[in-house]
Amino acid sequence: MRLLRIRLTNFRGVHDREVQLAEQGVTVLEGDNEVGKTSTVSALDLLVDFRDSSTAAEVRAAAPAGRDAGPEVEAEIVSGPYRVVYRKRWVRRKLTELTVLAPTAEQLTGREAHDRMLAILDETMDRSLWRALRVEQHTPLGQADLGGQDALTRALDRAASGVSGAGAPPGADAAAEDLVERALAEVRRYHGGNNRPVGPLREANERLTAARAEAEAAEASVAEVERDVALRADLDREASSLAVERRSHSERAHELEDRWSAFEARRLEVTAAAERAKAARERSRRATDRQAERARLVERAGDAARAAETADAAIATHEERDAARRSDRDDQQAAWETARAAATEADTASRTADDALATARDRAELADLSERLRRAEAAESARREVERAAAGPTVDAAAVESLEELDRGVVRAEAELAAGAGTVEVVGLDGASGVTADGEAVAPGETRSVPVAGPVTVGVPGVVEVRVRPGLDGAEARRRVEQAREERDRGCAELGVADLAAARAARHAAEDAAGRIRELTAVLDRELGGRTTADVRAEVDRLVERLRPEPAADPRSAKRKGRQAPDGPALFDDPAHVEDADGPDAEARTARAAELEALRREAAQAREAAGEARRAAEEAEQAWRRYDDAVRAAESEIAAARTTGAVARNDADRLAAELADARTAQPDDALDAEATDTLARARRTEADHEQRAAALAADDPDTVEALVVSARRATEAMTERSGEVERRRAEVTGRLQMAGGEGRHDRLTAARDELAAAERDHTSVTRRAAAATRLHSTLARHRDEVRQAYVAPFRREVERLARIVFGPSLALEVDPGLRIVARTLGGVTVPFEALSSGAKEQLGLCARLAVAALVDAEDGVPVMIDDALGHSDPARLERLAAVFTAATTGTTHQVVVLTCSPARYRGIGAARTVPLSPSLPPPAAVPSAEPAPAEDAMSDEATGSAEDPLRDAG
Amino acid sequence: MRFVHTADWQLGMTRRFLGAGRPGQAAGEAQARFAQARLDAVAALGRVAADEGAAFVVVCGDVFESNLVGPDVVGRACEALRAFTVPVLLLPGNHDPADAALVMRRADFARRAPSHVTVLDQPGIHEVAPGIEVVAAPWPSKRPLSDLVADQLRALEPAGPGVVRVLAGHGAVDVLSPDAHDPAVIHTDQCRAALADGRVHYVALGDRHSTWALPGESRIRYSGAPEVTAHDETDPGNVLVVDADAGGAAVRPVRVGRWAFTRERAVLDTDEDLAALDTRLGALAGPERTALRLTCEGTLTLRQRSRLDDVLAGHTPVLASLEVDTAELVTRPDDADVEALGLSGFAASAAAELASEVEDPEALDALALLHRLAATGGER
Repeated sequence: MRLLRIRLTNFRGVHDREVQLAEQGVTVLEGDNEVGKTSTVSALDLLVDFRDSSTAAEVRAAAPAGRDAGPEVEAEIVSGPYRVVYRKRWVRRKLTELTVLAPTAEQLTGREAHDRMLAILDETMDRSLWRALRVEQHTPLGQADLGGQDALTRALDRAASGVSGAGAPPGADAAAEDLVERALAEVRRYHGGNNRPVGPLREANERLTAARAEAEAAEASVAEVERDVALRADLDREASSLAVERRSHSERAHELEDRWSAFEARRLEVTAAAERAKAARERSRRATDRQAERARLVERAGDAARAAETADAAIATHEERDAARRSDRDDQQAAWETARAAATEADTASRTADDALATARDRAELADLSERLRRAEAAESARREVERAAAGPTVDAAAVESLEELDRGVVRAEAELAAGAGTVEVVGLDGASGVTADGEAVAPGETRSVPVAGPVTVGVPGVVEVRVRPGLDGAEARRRVEQAREERDRGCAELGVADLAAARAARHAAEDAAGRIRELTAVLDRELGGRTTADVRAEVDRLVERLRPEPAADPRSAKRKGRQAPDGPALFDDPAHVEDADGPDAEARTARAAELEALRREAAQAREAAGEARRAAEEAEQAWRRYDDAVRAAESEIAAARTTGAVARNDADRLAAELADARTAQPDDALDAEATDTLARARRTEADHEQRAAALAADDPDTVEALVVSARRATEAMTERSGEVERRRAEVTGRLQMAGGEGRHDRLTAARDELAAAERDHTSVTRRAAAATRLHSTLARHRDEVRQAYVAPFRREVERLARIVFGPSLALEVDPGLRIVARTLGGVTVPFEALSSGAKEQLGLCARLAVAALVDAEDGVPVMIDDALGHSDPARLERLAAVFTAATTGTTHQVVVLTCSPARYRGIGAARTVPLSPSLPPPAAVPSAEPAPAEDAMSDEATGSAEDPLRDAG
Repeated sequence: MRFVHTADWQLGMTRRFLGAGRPGQAAGEAQARFAQARLDAVAALGRVAADEGAAFVVVCGDVFESNLVGPDVVGRACEALRAFTVPVLLLPGNHDPADAALVMRRADFARRAPSHVTVLDQPGIHEVAPGIEVVAAPWPSKRPLSDLVADQLRALEPAGPGVVRVLAGHGAVDVLSPDAHDPAVIHTDQCRAALADGRVHYVALGDRHSTWALPGESRIRYSGAPEVTAHDETDPGNVLVVDADAGGAAVRPVRVGRWAFTRERAVLDTDEDLAALDTRLGALAGPERTALRLTCEGTLTLRQRSRLDDVLAGHTPVLASLEVDTAELVTRPDDADVEALGLSGFAASAAAELASEVEDPEALDALALLHRLAATGGER
């Protein structure tokens, strides 16, 4: 279908306008908002769909606002072989006119015209495709619903197979789709999700399972009875055979029992004989034992007597040896005591010599110390004397020097005073006596100059006294003089001297005394050797005390002390010793030293003799001790020998007594006779027993006993078995009685019947389910095959156009419903829904234009694009323009673009651009004015060059 | 001396093709009617015995379908026997052997069985009345290891003067038995010998459900079941009224059964064949007592097959049972079948594919389903 021309009169806001469209290629309708672009398109729908008599909302909405006029639409259309002019007016002066121009002229009006027009359109065009290819204003330019469009399907079919597929009547595929749906519903009756059986299939499965279980159970219950019947028959047989067996067995058992009883009696006899033999043998054994025991006793008594004698002899020998040893020991002891006495003697002599030596040493020391003490005391008293003389002011060189310094200060101060002060010169006139200047008499004739350092008094006694006082300017000097003097005087007072001269004298005296004291101190040190005199004196006292003779303690020492006593006082009383250490005492000292040396030698000799004597005594003691030990050892040996002897004797006595007693009770020959007698008897009874036992064994009693035992066991086992068989028989019989009333056969047949029915049912339902599945899968497969065949050419065409926009790397995925599923660009695949609005819009446009390019021109419908591409940027718009060109080149298709933004479509090589301006009714609506706007429009579109100024204006 | 020879009542037997109830439910309606019909046959033969003045009725084995039938079956059997006016002798057969579970020794049977009923559970001679003896050869177990009848015959002396002796046995005779090595098979020569030397005067047998006489010896007979039990039986539904004495025996079958288990064969290739089949099924006598096994053969289109289904569905509710064997019936869709669907596009190609796979029953089922869906779709 192609729209050549459409004229709107009193249609909404359009007063009267005719638009001519390019028969093929792109026609752009430009115009501002509300100029009536969309009305132009919707008018065509109204013209086709609604009868002139319609009062539908769409029709009423088409009436012009505020004017009493019927909306009117006239269109010239080419569709298939038909070319028609179709006019309709609604609401007022209703009208329908159809003028068929080709292939054969027709003229129709009213209802006939409407129906004829619909028939023509139904015959020649795909109205649903027409709707799909339109893009309404304000709706997103998304995917067109292209699946199932007949014209497109035919076109794609042609493209796919190269053969005309026009045979299928419109609507066939919709019916087929419906069949697929219903086949699927049929499948769903039997199979749920995951192919899970549902509905009748599930019921049939369950019925079959239940029937199988029941049949098995029923068979088992019948089989149980059959087993019991067989068991019962077996048990019956067993019971009767057991009875027979028992009878034959009992006869044999009785016979065996009798034989066994006879053997038992004989066995008792044998046992009694055995016991008798055993007793006789025992008696014989006892007699023999007694005999042997007597012989042993005799032997033991003899042994004991011999042992006692041996012991006695040993004791005697021991005692003899002991006496000799003791006398040796006593000799040794006497020798030891003699040696010990000699040693004691020597010791005493040695100690005496030591004592004499010590006394002599003490005395020599006392003499020396007394001498030194005397000299020290003399030196000390001399030093005290010197110190006493040197007592008084102590003036040393430093003190004198400082005193001299102070004195120099006084002189300096006085000089300063005299220099600065006035001077009073007092001239002692002759004759004038008693004149004093400053307290000093001034001799007549003498001129004395007195500096007025302080108040100076010049007086003539009794006459006058002149007091001169220094002025203020000399006061300081005077005060310094005073101060210096005071200091000096204070220095003298501290030193304890009257003046400087005294100080110097004192200093010299002190230096002399100090020299003397040093000398004396040196003497003291030499004599005392660092000790004090008190120490030395105490030492002397100690020595004197030690040398004092002990009254009659030792005659010899007393004698010696007595001899030396006079020496002591002599030492102390001799004053000469004090002064001179190297005095005449040296001789005495030498004598003392010689004496000491003699004493020392004596003492050493005595000590040596004492040691010798002590060693001799010790050797003697050791010898004695050795002998003593030997004696003691021998004593313990003798004691042991005596004990042994006593024991041996005791044993011998006891055994002799025992033997005597035994012989009294039973003499030896009686014992021998008894032993012989009993032994003979035992042999006799044993022979008797052996004979009887051999006779019994010869008759094989063990075999008979084993047979009896086995027969008894067999009897028991048979009784037990019969009992068991009877019990089981009763059990089985009870079970059978119980089962008999249960109708198990009926249950089994019912269960088998039900199982057969369930199996039939299951087979049939399974078959139906399989049929449904098969049908659906076959239909779906065929549908998909068809669709797949269509997809390829469609996709190729869309890709061809879309590559102009997106570049050569673009690839698209299209599903059998002809929907774009995903776009791949530069290797990146994005699902359609995830694309940007702009990209969706562009792909949607490409898809529509691709359809336009694919569908046969005869079948085709105009592609209507109403104000789309609002999401596309200028660069893409430019490319889209090229898409329009590419889509329309080489086809006879009609594309209509409506826009209020002419810039968007400027790049399109439009076959025609129609600017729309408002078409308002003239102030005074005059019907005759109608053609005027149309004329304008025609004149505008008539020249292609008219586009440029319009674009500039836009 | 006249008596009634019958056997194989098989009380408690059900037939699967008569339908099953769900587990725990009573059996289906046809099943119940069939069970009742079998009891009715028993009652009928009781009346025959009375009408004919028979001295007794001997039932030669398989009185019950199993020793394990329920108390309801036993009870109803006893009730049916109560109506008899002559002594009834019941012989244990292979279905109800005289083992430990023998139903006719069970407490429920003993309680209800009328006094004129004797159970022949012990082998040997039973005197029914003075001058009338029945020699019983009961089955002691399910699998006897010898010819029970011959065993009894060997032990017999010729019957005394004036005594009529009937042997009651059960099992297959050697001339009919397919299993030559069956140790329990009844040797007919032994029977003939016994008849010849007067040890017995009639050999009454059970086990075969068809009425049958040994060719050349009319005194050795199977009475057959009094009511049909299987499709392969020939001439069931009879009892034998026997007049026997030392000189011979005259036997007369009397029909007591009313049910028919029949087989039919139909060749179906055209619409006319289908119509003929419909007519044939409509003409069946006593359809409510008829269990029909129909074997179809031939080649049908999808539409014809659908019509066949309609025809069968029309008769099924009337018959006691209708089993159809279509193994030899080929369904082959023709182009018209596919065209009739009025399909186009891929649906048409799918239908064509299914129709081409004639060897695949599933494809045919799918095609039939497509027919149904397309048809209902058209109605919508």
